[in-house]
Amino acid sequence: MAITSLRQGNRGAFRKSAQGWLLSSPYLIFAVIFFLIPLVWSLFLVFQQWDLIAPTPVFVGFANIKEALTSVRVWQAFLVTYKFMLLFIPTVMVSSLGLALIVHNLPRFKPLFAVGFFLPYLASGVVTSLVVRGVLSYNSAFETFLRTTFGVTPDWLNNGTSATIVVTLMIVWKFAGYWALIFLAGLQGIPTDFYEAAALDGANAWTRFWRITLPLLYPALYTVLILAVGLTFSIFTEPFVLTNGGPQMATQTWQLEIYYQAFNLFRAGYGATVALLNAIATLVSILIIRSIVEAWGRHNGWN
Amino acid sequence: MASTQGKSSVALPTARQAEATRHTTISIRERRFFRRYWLYIIAIPILALMVLPYFYLFVQSFAPWDQVNTAFIPTTFTLRSYEWIWTGGGYGLPQPWVQAFLNSMLVTLVDSVSVVALGAIVGYALSVLHFRGQRAINNFILFQMFYPAIILLVPTFLIIRVTGLYNTYWAMIIPRLVNLWAIFMYTSFFRSVSPELIEAARIDGASELSIIFRIMLPIARSITTVIFLFVFMERWTELLWDLIVVKDPSTQTLNVLLTTLFGPYGSFPGPLYAAATLLTFPILVLFLAFSRNFVQGVQLVLR
Repeated sequence: MAITSLRQGNRGAFRKSAQGWLLSSPYLIFAVIFFLIPLVWSLFLVFQQWDLIAPTPVFVGFANIKEALTSVRVWQAFLVTYKFMLLFIPTVMVSSLGLALIVHNLPRFKPLFAVGFFLPYLASGVVTSLVVRGVLSYNSAFETFLRTTFGVTPDWLNNGTSATIVVTLMIVWKFAGYWALIFLAGLQGIPTDFYEAAALDGANAWTRFWRITLPLLYPALYTVLILAVGLTFSIFTEPFVLTNGGPQMATQTWQLEIYYQAFNLFRAGYGATVALLNAIATLVSILIIRSIVEAWGRHNGWN
Repeated sequence: MASTQGKSSVALPTARQAEATRHTTISIRERRFFRRYWLYIIAIPILALMVLPYFYLFVQSFAPWDQVNTAFIPTTFTLRSYEWIWTGGGYGLPQPWVQAFLNSMLVTLVDSVSVVALGAIVGYALSVLHFRGQRAINNFILFQMFYPAIILLVPTFLIIRVTGLYNTYWAMIIPRLVNLWAIFMYTSFFRSVSPELIEAARIDGASELSIIFRIMLPIARSITTVIFLFVFMERWTELLWDLIVVKDPSTQTLNVLLTTLFGPYGSFPGPLYAAATLLTFPILVLFLAFSRNFVQGVQLVLR
């Protein structure tokens, strides 16, 4: 490569540069149209009011921001999202690590189980919601069983707490096997000598897990944690289809509220404002969680 | 016990010794079996749990309408739900189930192929070509990947509206022609291809595009399988974007159609199960057909 450019002098470098930019152009065009322009436009929208029918938007100054910060709905959406975060993240981390440990320690048929555990990720949220609604419906085999055996008729989807738990479990079911693959790769990267040395020193399985496995899984833990936090802020399909944010906004996630404001009530400016708040909250949450996890990592020898 | 172990190879044991040996050898074998395979007692039920919703979905789609959801496995099977879907049945208004399936297929295939092709082209430019600005573009891609996409939702929708693409196939296809993760994957992968190979092809007179499609992509077969499968699956099960950007049922994807009819068909969900099966099983089949390539590819990606 160096020889070619020397021979052709600056012409070679220019040609290479042109080629580089030309071949990158699909991305560059795309980034301008679908990233930069919307990004800038969203900042304008925050200060406007537009119902998409009127020919031009109306400038409203800080009204949108003021409304969003004091709105009960927005705070409820905020709380709901954090509720999901507190329920979802520990559950999914434990589940996916557990699945990875199982697959890692199976003597035979590892790929079968790895793929099998991954299968839920392929299901559309709409399909899962259909199945859940069916299984939890009043006359379903499951509910009838509960009625005849235990005499209880829990109304899963009309109770705020149980609805939240149901949605959380659905999403855990979907993602645990997928993120287990990340942990699996991490587990396979731990040299077995460490375990042998620890066993020689008399460490039992419990200690080996907490002192060797977990700290050495730091990169995988970090990745899955960031993915999980990002996911929590964009939960939409399951609460939308199954409960439509109900009962009484118990499952109205932030993404759902933005959808409602922008596309049901046709408030483009206000919707953009709520989205901006969401984005800020996401970034702040990720930063906080990152620093905690990085501190734990440093404590265990990672830098 | 220890003494009989050693003696099993000794010729002509007494009758009593023989019987004792037979008993202890079997139970040792059993014990070894249990110790090695005990994990399957946990793994197999979990695998069943992962697959159960698909099973339920499939079975219920063949259930007679008076037994849908009330019987876990129906006593007889009927094709009535599928007939309804095939003939576009609906309460008074026919529903374009099959058309929606074809819409999903069109949108997903076009976007998946585009993501791979454009991803490979841009990935090649950003890894192998070494031009001025290459690093800047790479960094910008990372920045864009971590930027909260939620802010972009409303303005991107407005772009679609303003350009008159609302309610068209283009609105679904164009914003997903390029995928950042795919570019990122190809960039990292192509960096590991030996530069001599590429240089040799250039000396032979190959154009950059033919290098990408005749040399780089074939080498990247495993990772292309992973990228294609993931992108295909995500596009196929996408809801939010397709929901807000198309409102005419005959242009909607099956995922969206299922969502809009989720409530109205609440009291007779049979056809919904058939449509959901139609939505789910192509992905499952596609995925299981390529599962070995997928597993190889995933291991490659995670290293």
